[in-house]
Amino acid sequence: MELDRRNFIKIVVGGAAGIQLTPLPWKLADDIAIWTQNWPWVPVPPVGEFTHVGSICTLCPGGCGIEVRKVETRAVKIEGRPDYPVNPGGICPLGAAGLQLLYDETIRYTSPMKRVGPRGAGKFMDITWDEALDTLADRISGLRDRQRPEALAAVDGNPIRSTMSLMIERLLKAVGSLNYLRIPSAEDTYEMANTLMLGTEGPMAYDLENADYILSFGSGLLDGWGAPGRVLNAWGLWRGKTLKKRVRVVQVESRASNTASRADQWIAAIPGTEGALALGLAHVIIKERLFSTEFVNNHSFGFNDWMSADGRHHMGFKTMVLDQYSPDKVARITGLSLREIVSLAKDFAGAKAPIAVCGKGKGTLNGSLFELMAVQSLNALTGNINRTGGIFMRDPLPVSPLPEVELDAIARQGLKKHRLDQAGGMRYPFTRSLINSFTNNILRSSGSPVDTLLIFSANPSHNLPDGGAFKRALKDIPFIASFSPFHDETSHMADLILPDHTYLEKMDDVVWPTGLQYPLYGLSKPVVDPVYDTRNTGDVIIQLAKRAGRPLGSAFPWNDFEAVLKARAKGLFDSGSGLVGYSGSRPAWKRQAGGIRPDYRSFEDMWKKIKSGGVWYRPVDSAGDRQMSFKTPTGRFEFFSTNIELAVKNYARKTSEQTALKQMGFGVKGEEAFMPHYEAMEPEVDSSAYPLTMVPYEMINLSSGWAPTPPFVYKTLFDTQLKKAESFVEINPETAAQHDLKEGDRAIVKSTVGEVQVRITLFEGAMPGIVYMPLGFGHTGYDEFIRGKGVNPNSIIDAGTDPLSGQPVWWNTRVRLTKV
Amino acid sequence: MEKGHDHGQNKYGMVIDLDKCTGCGTCMTACAAENNVVVRPDESDKERSITWMLLYKITNGKKFPHTEVCHFPRPCMHCEEDGNGGHHPTCVSVCVATATTLDSKTGIVSQIYTRCIGCRYCQAACPYHARYFNWWDAYFPKGKGLERYLSPEVSPRMRGVVEKCTFCHHRLMRAKNQAYSEGRRDLKEDDYITACSEACPARAITFGDLNNPNHKVSKLIKSPYAFRLLERLNTKPKVYYLSTKDWVREWADNPVPHVSPSS
Amino acid sequence: MTNPANSSEKPSQGGLIFFLAGFIPALIVGWVIFPMVLYSKQPQPINFNHKLHLDPEVVDGIEGDTETERCLYCHGFRDDGTFVGIPVAAQCTECHDDPETPLGDTRDEEEFLTKYVAGEKEVPWLSYSRQPDCVYFSHIAHVKMGNMDCSVCHGNHGESEMLPPYKENRLTGYSINIWGKNIAGYKLDTWDRMKMDDCAECHTKKGHEENNACFVCHK
Repeated sequence: MELDRRNFIKIVVGGAAGIQLTPLPWKLADDIAIWTQNWPWVPVPPVGEFTHVGSICTLCPGGCGIEVRKVETRAVKIEGRPDYPVNPGGICPLGAAGLQLLYDETIRYTSPMKRVGPRGAGKFMDITWDEALDTLADRISGLRDRQRPEALAAVDGNPIRSTMSLMIERLLKAVGSLNYLRIPSAEDTYEMANTLMLGTEGPMAYDLENADYILSFGSGLLDGWGAPGRVLNAWGLWRGKTLKKRVRVVQVESRASNTASRADQWIAAIPGTEGALALGLAHVIIKERLFSTEFVNNHSFGFNDWMSADGRHHMGFKTMVLDQYSPDKVARITGLSLREIVSLAKDFAGAKAPIAVCGKGKGTLNGSLFELMAVQSLNALTGNINRTGGIFMRDPLPVSPLPEVELDAIARQGLKKHRLDQAGGMRYPFTRSLINSFTNNILRSSGSPVDTLLIFSANPSHNLPDGGAFKRALKDIPFIASFSPFHDETSHMADLILPDHTYLEKMDDVVWPTGLQYPLYGLSKPVVDPVYDTRNTGDVIIQLAKRAGRPLGSAFPWNDFEAVLKARAKGLFDSGSGLVGYSGSRPAWKRQAGGIRPDYRSFEDMWKKIKSGGVWYRPVDSAGDRQMSFKTPTGRFEFFSTNIELAVKNYARKTSEQTALKQMGFGVKGEEAFMPHYEAMEPEVDSSAYPLTMVPYEMINLSSGWAPTPPFVYKTLFDTQLKKAESFVEINPETAAQHDLKEGDRAIVKSTVGEVQVRITLFEGAMPGIVYMPLGFGHTGYDEFIRGKGVNPNSIIDAGTDPLSGQPVWWNTRVRLTKV
Repeated sequence: MEKGHDHGQNKYGMVIDLDKCTGCGTCMTACAAENNVVVRPDESDKERSITWMLLYKITNGKKFPHTEVCHFPRPCMHCEEDGNGGHHPTCVSVCVATATTLDSKTGIVSQIYTRCIGCRYCQAACPYHARYFNWWDAYFPKGKGLERYLSPEVSPRMRGVVEKCTFCHHRLMRAKNQAYSEGRRDLKEDDYITACSEACPARAITFGDLNNPNHKVSKLIKSPYAFRLLERLNTKPKVYYLSTKDWVREWADNPVPHVSPSS
Repeated sequence: MTNPANSSEKPSQGGLIFFLAGFIPALIVGWVIFPMVLYSKQPQPINFNHKLHLDPEVVDGIEGDTETERCLYCHGFRDDGTFVGIPVAAQCTECHDDPETPLGDTRDEEEFLTKYVAGEKEVPWLSYSRQPDCVYFSHIAHVKMGNMDCSVCHGNHGESEMLPPYKENRLTGYSINIWGKNIAGYKLDTWDRMKMDDCAECHTKKGHEENNACFVCHK
């Protein structure tokens, strides 16, 4: 018996046979099959108890209600909240994907940081909160010690009227600086138009749900305007009616946007001529006597010509419109047909509850003041003000003001200096802030007049329509502190990062969502514990002020930001009535019979309920019906703005009226300037070298504001909008043919301030002669999901200046297209 | 399972009102978030991008300024038949691994990832392009922490398998658990709806039981404006559309819904 | 014709022995060593005495006509119908509320109180019955609506005084309680294994064949 070849084979055969009679091969085969199904790198989400937390979304100023589904401590889904009055259950594409902003570690600042690499490289080192706060507090104290408090400036992207924006403005004031800059949005222009015509600083309040005719002047009702959850819901209601009763939606826009291409009627006016169209409609309405004589005679000022106390004759709105805006002329300006204008005017005036809506796109960027005023005058002509299905003249939300800041000598001295942007001065008396002019001031100065710049909830490097000027200006500013939670382009230029929580980790308020017809105060709450070492910027401002010493600290006597929010909410309670609960069975826009009985007993009770439910609101009731006490100087709706007249006269005291008008940006002379009028704002550029116009546009499924676009949302973009690293511009096939361009071609879009390379997509819905570029691409910050995709139209915008408001005219940059 | 289409109790279906749809894309992101759909740095590669719910864009082809645009949200159609008289959908009849079946109790076409062998036959067989292949493993790089938003109700997929819309089947299970907890077996109309219909801000998507005459969907499909995609294929989809626009309804019968108007 | 090379030699005497020398070790490898290698063995972090906790004399309020009802006292359902599974420490501290004063006198309880309750940590229990991620299982559908006893799938776990060590299949990562206690797949009791076929077998036996549809149990 020796182990020869033959016997060896026997052992092997025996072993093989034996193994077959054991479970080993069968079990192993099965287990290996299972093993291939469970790769360790395929995540297995942990199970646990499901809970729901109601809050509100503050990714945009819309403030929709959200319900966050959680498993134990993790948030796993964001849904719309059916128990929230703004958006009964629905949500927008960005809001639904918001968790990707919370949990993406590589787009977030995970702790306070200081810059270690060159500016813009995004290289930072972790520091402690103590060090970060001390650094900034020392910097601010240093400026005050050197008697230069005005060298502190802040750029704020928080919504207008929000408590955060008040805190930031307050900080600057306490330090002694007027240089508080806002990112211009449609809200700023709305506020100006409402102040001048209605006499209220309250928000635009459109009773969309009850209207039967919507005439929108470029507002992207279906493209993210207002609170998208609310406006899209209204659209569903309009379309849910039987064919005969359907609300008629008319969109004035040069491009077939989601809104224009679905509207019952699409009026493709040349961009920038919307104001002329509104006045042309007014002409027809006045001429055909289709306007509300009741409103015009009893509640308006400056409609007819009048004689002032000094015996001078003044031109009224009627005369001006009849003289200047004949449908013929307006047809030439707008590129529309005479018939279109006349029938549109008749339809609008003939409707039972027509609303003319203004504000371009999503409203992320400012509008044109006189265009907005022209549109508002249409609402006045129909008399559809303070009536169901009309626009409402609303007082600002009755939140309590913060107590006056006690100023020390240094601060008082600093506040005597001029603002760097000229806003609120002689030239632009009604504008709160002009960031473009601020930027230019820095770029023009040899040494930066700003020493320390604070940036809050804003990404001006990317989002300002200034051809990249702000980005250049940042290089001149010695010290920049960013409070951004995200690695955005502006924060990459900062020296110090004091990261805020994301919106899902913090308490913050929404003071009246854009366009809502009833007063509403929303309060977000932390739906998860802070994921990283970040702090609510509201708290940080208080901590910072306390560190910077007594005079500053006493301006912020609160323990934390929640105490500030609570102090502000007291005013809601004091206003007498309101609700903090919403069941969904009774929409807040449905007129409630009788008064509203509060569903809270005391202020403490109300605050507790706001904190858990996230809302205080006062549904539409009959209390304000046809109340026509306008708070303008004349007490009436002003077709002729006495405030503008006064401002011009004021300025003219130092010079001539003609020079004053010119300095304020007017192209018209005389009393026309005091009324809604149209001025062609043609850029002074050689049109043979730059034969086309570039119009940026906003999409509901791409963030053009401060919040980054969550990765899921990129799934919704077509490959004719973004393909790999390249974004597309839309042009009409006719324009394409003239430039020898085909679908998918690459081309350079060149303006006087810059150029970008894009791809071409042909779209019949694009107005010939115009290049349409989407806003929201071209990021260099964030992570691989967001950066390196497409180009940013803002970088080639050569913005003009809007008369009187001084805000940028960003919708008509002259460009040329060259095939690559 | 393959006893024909004599469904027990329920036949879940969807009605999408294209007059209300604004093309905003919320259905797509809500779906992706609900179902742990993988997202990759480049989602512009539409042959690789996974979208259980997808918006198709069509135009009426008219010149400026008469252009109209309409978006078709396209989930899985959960077909009843294969169009040749077979009582299961085309994808099911070609599946060699029994990884996809038509559930006789709900009318929902299932997809079992651990069963799927990745032959992609079903993908080729689906006339609606509703099926997607995982060319890669889910993208969750170390240090990003994105896996923290994953829902435990839906299994994340591995590479090499096909996936598709399930009518949020886990929500049916969720609703059943809730009902059992309350001691009832029957579901109310609102108990079970898909994530897309829940999220739609314009309320364009209605979901319910087509076998239940009281459900909104059953009433809506009686509308003269109701139709289904590629109806002449006879696949009997359970997703219906409503549109009062003639040009939209004409498009719907076109064999290939174009992705972009210009291609 | 015969091959001369073959005919010259007689068949080897030890042929069978050599065969068995391969055969028997193979059997030993397959039946004894393989299961030992395949499964890892891990003790639970601390012991838990099910028998003691199910005693109404010991645990106040644990009443019920059936054992299942008593199980549900700790392993119950949430309001949304989902199953609690292994209780979290917060549930235990409803009774064991004071880390300073143990209710009994075992070292395990002491460890539980000092290490986990006082340290505010969860006990890292090893779940014997965790199904893989591709499986959806509704306890409430079976226990409440189907009137099934816990023991049908989980056996007499409730009568145990000691927690058995947790055994995990090294290849699949599944617990031996799911994957089958017997390596050969023999099943003596209904709770010996919880694989797909076991579920289907029971569904069929009870006349619920429709519940064998894929999507009923897969997610």
